[in-house]
Amino acid sequence: MRQHLIELVLFSTYAELRAERSRSYLGIIWWVLEPAMQMGAFWLVFGLILKTGGPDYLPMLLIGLTVWQWMKSCITHGGYAVWSNLPLIRQVRLSPLVFPLVQMFADTIKFAFIFVLLVAILWCMGYPPNAAYLALPLVFIAVFLVAAGAGFVVAAIVPLLPDLRFVIEQVLTVVMFLSGVVFSLKTVPSPLREIMELNPIAVLMEATRGILMNGEWPNVVGLTKVSLISVTVCLIGIAVMARLAPRYPKLAT
Amino acid sequence: MSEVLIELENVGVAFDKQRRVGADRFWALEDVSLTLRRGERLGVIGRNGAGKSTLLRVIGGILVPDRGRVRRAPVSCQLLSLTLGFVPHLSGRDNAVLSGLMLGLRRRDIVGRLPAIREFCELGDFFEQPIASYSSGMVMRLAFSVAIQVEPDVLLIDEVLAVGDAEFQEKSGQALRERMGEGHTVVLVSHQERQISALCDRVLWVEHGKSVLEGERDTVFEAYHQEIHLQGTPP
Repeated sequence: MRQHLIELVLFSTYAELRAERSRSYLGIIWWVLEPAMQMGAFWLVFGLILKTGGPDYLPMLLIGLTVWQWMKSCITHGGYAVWSNLPLIRQVRLSPLVFPLVQMFADTIKFAFIFVLLVAILWCMGYPPNAAYLALPLVFIAVFLVAAGAGFVVAAIVPLLPDLRFVIEQVLTVVMFLSGVVFSLKTVPSPLREIMELNPIAVLMEATRGILMNGEWPNVVGLTKVSLISVTVCLIGIAVMARLAPRYPKLAT
Repeated sequence: MSEVLIELENVGVAFDKQRRVGADRFWALEDVSLTLRRGERLGVIGRNGAGKSTLLRVIGGILVPDRGRVRRAPVSCQLLSLTLGFVPHLSGRDNAVLSGLMLGLRRRDIVGRLPAIREFCELGDFFEQPIASYSSGMVMRLAFSVAIQVEPDVLLIDEVLAVGDAEFQEKSGQALRERMGEGHTVVLVSHQERQISALCDRVLWVEHGKSVLEGERDTVFEAYHQEIHLQGTPP
């Protein structure tokens, strides 16, 4: 049963990516082009017009937006997955967990493409790969757990409260600005900085930048705390989804 | 007497009428009881809106009842759903694998059956093309060819007895009749009495979400016709 679900999730992820590639003329080029356009817009406003950055602003911004875009995609795509698959849920007995997982895995594979490009750009800008890269899988697991935790909770509730979708986008925009995605927390004065550093996403942003830009090994205690909190949120999301699962096929179309 | 696989006792299922806060619910099934034994072919009859399709989804474990009890032996039940999980931009081959997985098959099983699926659906080279380029008849050919591969302990069929053009209808109908004749446990919902008479040995009559009568095929049909005759409504 479990192996069947794993096969279903993996093949559905492949199907999702393949279908997405076929839906546009440029195909997988959009996986990289879309975030590149967003990065360009932020660089234009904060780097060139407002000049808020400094010499390291562009690489810092690129890293922040790349990681944030991955998290946001997992939360929104995964979060809306049960709701958008309600017609299927009415026809077949399947764990609803399959649907957010497929979206999150698909977004993670797209992130892998973007990340390779990011590493190449950073290298060209004078930030070559370093030994601390070995810690990246740990940081990325923590990032995925944070996104999956939030995504599962949203996915469990949105089928019952679809209006929540209008709020989530705005909440995520606020979270992005409070998490040091487009600016470094080092530029924030105390005591506000200490408060913002309690945000697990801010911790992950700083850890990723430390590795990619300065070759710094991440704070293992901080990463472990973030991961434990995220695992707890994941389990809560899965439990809520399992409890609400009998209601999903009975919801009005 | 053979083993009881599924037993429903005074089962009721309610749906939300609308998607808004405080919306009323309606009972698609109010009070249905049935017993399904291994190897039985049970037909479900009743007029439109009687709750037959909802009943199938309760038996299949898709819907959990809001009242009553369901007792189920550790068996697999699968609703014969066509085009389950189909994605327009994927090829016939990829859709066959995806749909087969959704219908409960393991990947190695569905991959092993791909040559048989390809042969049965008679789509030729279109099998490798995105199904967005198919006609609706071609999509149904592929869908049926995949669905017929599923071999659960209990097969649930909702009106899907023949699809496609006249030639393929004959072929698909024949394949399904063969499947039902292989000693599988089957629950069949159909408006066509002739099909239920030909394929089922026992019949459950459902009306307004309630089971009216369950028993031998001829006995239930006799009572059903008598009721229809009294009400003056054609079946």
